[in-house]
Amino acid sequence: MTKAYINGISCISAQNTIDDSWYFDTITPANGDYFSAIEPSYKDHIAPNLIRRMGRAIKMGVTTANLAIIDADAQKVDAIITGTGLGCFEDSERFLLAMLDNNEQFLTPTSFIQSTHNTVGSQIALIMKCHDYNFTYVHRGFSFESCVLDALMLFEEGKETILVGGIEEHTPNFVTLNRRALKLQIQDTTMPIHQSTSNGVQLSEGSTFFLLSKHKSDKSIAAIDGIKTLYKPKTSEDIFEKLIVFLKLYNLTLSDIDVTLMGFCGNQHFDKYLNELLPKLTTNTAIASFKNLCGEFYTASAFAMWVATKLIQKQQLPQSIVIAGSEPKHIKHVLVINQYGGVNYSFMLVSQC
Amino acid sequence: MDALIEKLKKQIIEQLNLAEVNPDEVSADSPLFGEGLGLDSIDALELIVLLEKHYGIKIEDPKDGKVIFQSLRTMAEYIKAQGKG
Amino acid sequence: MSQRVYITGLGMISALGNTVSEGFLSLSQSKTGIGKINHLTTRYKEEFLAGEINLSNKDLADLVKDSNPEYNRNTYLAMIAAKEAVIHSGIDTKDGLRTGLISSTTVAGMGITELYYKELFEKTDHLSVIDTHDCGYSTERIADYIGNVDYVTTISTACSSAANAIMLGCRMIKHGQLDRVVVGGVDALSKFTFNGFNTLMILDREWCKPFDENRKGLNLGEGAAFLVIEGEEALNKRQGKPLTEIIGYANANDAYHQTASSPEGYGATLAIQQALAMSGLNPSQVDYINMHGTGTPNNDLSEGMATVAVFGNQIPKFSSTKAYTGHTLAAAASIEAVISVLSLQHQTIFPNLNFTTPIASLNLTPIHELLKTPINIVLSNSFGFGGNCSSLLFKKV
Repeated sequence: MTKAYINGISCISAQNTIDDSWYFDTITPANGDYFSAIEPSYKDHIAPNLIRRMGRAIKMGVTTANLAIIDADAQKVDAIITGTGLGCFEDSERFLLAMLDNNEQFLTPTSFIQSTHNTVGSQIALIMKCHDYNFTYVHRGFSFESCVLDALMLFEEGKETILVGGIEEHTPNFVTLNRRALKLQIQDTTMPIHQSTSNGVQLSEGSTFFLLSKHKSDKSIAAIDGIKTLYKPKTSEDIFEKLIVFLKLYNLTLSDIDVTLMGFCGNQHFDKYLNELLPKLTTNTAIASFKNLCGEFYTASAFAMWVATKLIQKQQLPQSIVIAGSEPKHIKHVLVINQYGGVNYSFMLVSQC
Repeated sequence: MDALIEKLKKQIIEQLNLAEVNPDEVSADSPLFGEGLGLDSIDALELIVLLEKHYGIKIEDPKDGKVIFQSLRTMAEYIKAQGKG
Repeated sequence: MSQRVYITGLGMISALGNTVSEGFLSLSQSKTGIGKINHLTTRYKEEFLAGEINLSNKDLADLVKDSNPEYNRNTYLAMIAAKEAVIHSGIDTKDGLRTGLISSTTVAGMGITELYYKELFEKTDHLSVIDTHDCGYSTERIADYIGNVDYVTTISTACSSAANAIMLGCRMIKHGQLDRVVVGGVDALSKFTFNGFNTLMILDREWCKPFDENRKGLNLGEGAAFLVIEGEEALNKRQGKPLTEIIGYANANDAYHQTASSPEGYGATLAIQQALAMSGLNPSQVDYINMHGTGTPNNDLSEGMATVAVFGNQIPKFSSTKAYTGHTLAAAASIEAVISVLSLQHQTIFPNLNFTTPIASLNLTPIHELLKTPINIVLSNSFGFGGNCSSLLFKKV
């Protein structure tokens, strides 16, 4: 399958990733059992007559999409593919509460319209006047992964430039409900995340966009070689076997991987298989975690791909994310192994180009 | 009439979240749609609910909005004509 | 890489009946499924009609033979239709070939979230709804119900969702990612969607009248439809029987307005033209169009304009089947794909109900009485919020 060259990136996350100069220097801790995204002033990025209707997911999405395009110096895109597990939850909740509070009366359409899952993708299309392919994936921990696979197929079908992004937002009520359902837990930050014995995660949010190109140019930062998703693997051996097969597709073995980014989330049950995999992966590679920085959400893997891209660009592995293994001399291949809820597992391979 | 126009202006700015746009440029007779404030068909539906909620006026056909929502003054006149406001 | 892709199994539950055969019977008798609202709880129950499936959630649980209290209506409908499609196709998901599941939905778990949302902050009884609220939940339940699924994903692009699921399934087979895929969409009625469409003032209080000059809006419906699609290699390996070939598909964006279609139907025109270009067909080879035809003033005019733009003065026979099922949103395109296959199998066009007067500016008359006629190629359109336009082309085998 064709590679996808990453020509532009932009990320809003729980860390100050929206600031171009940020490189793991100042780490913003969680707000107890959740992280909120560090957001820019949206007025600098979106016209006021558009911004007035937008919920946070839309503002984060439209802004990072725009910045990724600017970063790549792209003039147009042939496809817009977005991934979001929950969609525009703020607008869904606003319409839902108005409906319940007013007994289905005096409802207005704006929040209903904005609650549609493909709002971010269609807003980008509207702003860019892009009449091309526009898909939105909404499958839990596969939402962003599905976008990447789709983009790789589209390049083979002849598309040249594709915008891909993962977006997630939470609301105060949503945090409260997750807390009530005992899904959240404050993590002990003196301990690396993979050794956590907690039964909860730190909920988070964010938006990460990539401007992908079929062709390598002087704008290309890194390349996506491939992606693989595994639904409910039965054992960690099963995951390991599939990982070896996955790497073989690109003529690689585990020893070729310089950094492996693993999606440990802090919930010891969800992290079980990744912990079982860990000793098998440490031979020649550095292992790093990322959810201790970005928190847990359906499209956290988009943040992981941002980290992978940055590592390749900067050729420097920040010690704050390393959890095991050895310091690589050179960062050529970065492997992302993510899991969501102990159900959705994925591999993504990002390489120097 | 002027008091009603002023009240409507405040309600519209709140309902349509226009505070950051340019509410000061809106006068009693400037067009709400197209040029002027640049409202669109979604805003028209919002205004229909505004009339229902605050003035007890029900508009059944969204097409009627075209005439009623030309400007703040036409809206105010419509409200008066319905014996409300 | 370009192997042919065939539809080999159908499953559908809608206001027309609980199975494909029941649906076919209603269609053949020109009998609508739209009527009084019985199951949905809303203050507007007496004022509006809907294409409701006349089964309670308890009845649906009995059909599925699994009454997990966490399942919501959306999930039940999807499980029923997906299982019917798998059984119909005769595939064995344990035979070592790679099976995918691509579902689509817009309402997801909202139908149950809206019942309990307020009390979630006070009590703990229904807190599990936060696990069933998202779109992926029902997809994973279908995957577990079918068993041995290698790839799962979910699409949500409003009312074109299932067309995009079908399109993605075809592409994944052509790219060699999967051997066969269960594709489709589901949306159960919910108070949330009902009120949402009501705020847009595009609901007709009477039966919807697609392509009629005096159309007033749409009727909402609910349902699920899934299709098993297989690459010819996998199909030959198991010596299965194809029902229909999928020869074209395209997705384009209107980029005009967040909910409304452009007056000239630009996005729709692009989608139809690109699907035709992929198939290598001339517009004149299309025998029947199953229109999106929701019955709203905006959609039908815009879609009519797009049809004229593509087909000129040689407009193929066409009808909208929304007046049978109601607009089933994310399920609409897969329900209409099933209806398109039935049209090809039975060489029959199911009429556009409630039609009397053509739209003055277009002067297009849909087929409005059951018609037996040779049909080789069917075009099916689906358009959604956010300007999302998709077209599919089916060919008789």
